[in-house]
Amino acid sequence: MTATALTQQAAPAVARSGPRNSWAAVLALAAFEARRLLLRLPVLLAFALHVTWIVWRTLQPRDDYPVLQDADRATQGGPLLVGLAVLLCANRAVLRSTRRDTERHFAVLTLGVWRRTAAHALSVVPLALLTAVAVTAQFTWEALKSGAVGRGSVAELLTGPLAVLLFGAVGVLLARLVTSAVAAPLLVVVFLLLFVGGAFPSSGQETGAVWLDPVVTTAGAHPYPSDLLGRPAGWHALYLAGLALTAALLAVLVSGGRRSRAVQAAFAGALTLAVLGGVVQTGGVPARTVEARVRASVAPEKEQRCVRRGQVRYCAFSEWLPRVAGWARVADRVQALAGGPARGRDLLVRQRVDVRGGLLDDAALAPSTRPGQVTVGTSWGGNRVPEFSTAVAGVLVAGDEKAASVVCDGRMVTVMWLSLAWQSDPESALRGVRLDDSLTGSAIVVSRTEPLLMTAGQTKVVRALFDRPFYGVAARVKAHWAELTTPGVTTVRAAELLGVRASVGADRCAR
Amino acid sequence: MTPARGSRPGVRPSRALPGARVAAALVAPVWRTLPWRTLGAAAAVGLLVVGAGRAVGAGPVETLYGLRGAGLALALGVAFLLDDPARHTTAPVPVRRAVRTLLRAALVTPVAGLWWAAVLLLVPGTVRPPAGDLTLETGTALVLALAGAAVAVRYGDAPEPGRSVAAALLGTAVLAPLLLPGHWALFVPPNDPGWTAAHERWARLLTGAAALCAASLHERGPHGQSRSVTSPCGTSGPSRTS
Repeated sequence: MTATALTQQAAPAVARSGPRNSWAAVLALAAFEARRLLLRLPVLLAFALHVTWIVWRTLQPRDDYPVLQDADRATQGGPLLVGLAVLLCANRAVLRSTRRDTERHFAVLTLGVWRRTAAHALSVVPLALLTAVAVTAQFTWEALKSGAVGRGSVAELLTGPLAVLLFGAVGVLLARLVTSAVAAPLLVVVFLLLFVGGAFPSSGQETGAVWLDPVVTTAGAHPYPSDLLGRPAGWHALYLAGLALTAALLAVLVSGGRRSRAVQAAFAGALTLAVLGGVVQTGGVPARTVEARVRASVAPEKEQRCVRRGQVRYCAFSEWLPRVAGWARVADRVQALAGGPARGRDLLVRQRVDVRGGLLDDAALAPSTRPGQVTVGTSWGGNRVPEFSTAVAGVLVAGDEKAASVVCDGRMVTVMWLSLAWQSDPESALRGVRLDDSLTGSAIVVSRTEPLLMTAGQTKVVRALFDRPFYGVAARVKAHWAELTTPGVTTVRAAELLGVRASVGADRCAR
Repeated sequence: MTPARGSRPGVRPSRALPGARVAAALVAPVWRTLPWRTLGAAAAVGLLVVGAGRAVGAGPVETLYGLRGAGLALALGVAFLLDDPARHTTAPVPVRRAVRTLLRAALVTPVAGLWWAAVLLLVPGTVRPPAGDLTLETGTALVLALAGAAVAVRYGDAPEPGRSVAAALLGTAVLAPLLLPGHWALFVPPNDPGWTAAHERWARLLTGAAALCAASLHERGPHGQSRSVTSPCGTSGPSRTS
């Protein structure tokens, strides 16, 4: 009775200063709901997991030389899990008043259902901002690493936080459409299968409908120059933002906001944005990017800049020029171990990519036939270092890459010793550069161009050389350089020249 | 008025009733109170996932994920099986909670079996993973869900703990493949050499879940009463108005 009287008395006052006060109330409710949402166990767990994943991933030694145009989209996977947790909890928060049967009490408030829905949708925003902080921290950490090259894109970094926003808005919308408690967990299962399990139709492709997926990582084998990526990241961010707004405004509309012209107009605008972004992003790689990809793959010399360090000229895509110092350290060490004319030989280290088949294509590059030219890829650190030093050693011993790729005699011993002996742990470098990570028997030696082949005998001799004093072997290599690099020298003879006694059979390379 | 909970020695005259007769008399009411809409929604999502996989011509790995997803979906539904809005009024009834819980499970089992058969038959034979092993996985998920619900009912006061149990189950399903170390792996791909070993682990998990479920079937004893009997609106505590 008293309550009714109060409501009746209060009603005119609210009607006078309605809109301003109610929006202040919406914001206050949104702040309250956001705080509750942040303290839910699934959300806390998801954020803890996200941060742990970021730290674990960024501390990996193989991540010491990040390429920032890849590092930016590597931030997108983690927020998916956060988004699913937010979906679950936002849904639960909206259904709380139904579950606790307090909907009747709220019905007497001046804050209508649709404004409360708007507050729930707004409460997701701080969580998206928190995700943005995590994503920014991850990217900044990568960018601050001394080995970082390239440049990131803001649109790629926005994708993760926008995905969280979208999932949260979907959770709110779902609660307004279905009051069942099992709906959100079931939707999470479907989303997990679609977006995390890779069951999304056409997932694993680079263009087309795959871009309707909230997160498209296009995780290829090699980094590429940023102007060859051709990823519609900006349109995708627009699409996600439009979709999140559409879901949130639809939730407001279905909970009674359809009387408000402003909400209707905003919904139409958001839908337009989502459709526009959605259509444009699926248009495929632009023709200009395709041309640039062909140019960079076929005639990289026209796109690259060159610098000279000692006897070696390094030509690389401009984003990779900071890495020349690292390449030069390796090439200089290898060349210093060589003897004869190879020691003073002018080399050209050229960075090459083949992106004609798209970002996901892992095509091997054709070995260069130009004398003294060494190919270097776009990745660095870890096994890429002995891979590059082997390429340099191969060119120094055989003359050019094509000739080095078919070496099947005692020269292989010299190549592998030059490549690895100077490294801090030659045996682990040898393990890293062999495809099967073995230290005995025959194995394929990985290379950015054609792989090389080591026989079991050559492996034995090379490992025996690592056990001998470094300077003694180095002196022998220099003294016998001419014979060691003669095509057709047997492994037995090479072992003899280098002072190793090992029972090695004839050189047989089964390719 | 708060109903007394637990079974007091003096209030058990109907224990003389043969259990089978009581159970038979309970079948119809329990059948009516089962959360059929929730279970139906979960089953429908499972069928939808597998059907969609069939429609787009999914490969063996995607099919396996789809089947696991379907199993998880039904398990999420089963997490709501013990939800009972009238829970606090049924605590002192003569038929023990174990009987009622088992009756619920027994009523759902044949339906779930039929559903699972339909799901398996929906998958084309060429991409279907070993049916027995996958049935073991799904069965474990269902028993885990039931065990979770039973634990929540036994140790909690909420009449409808299904929502939390479902969230916990979902979290476990997401985190287990991410966090389990290699030698405890449960979610292995079909061609993995560790498939058999993984399914031995599944069997052990099923046994553990079933044991946990069996241990949590009964109503909590009188020693748990002191807390639960206190009504939040009661007058026995210190005054809240000061």
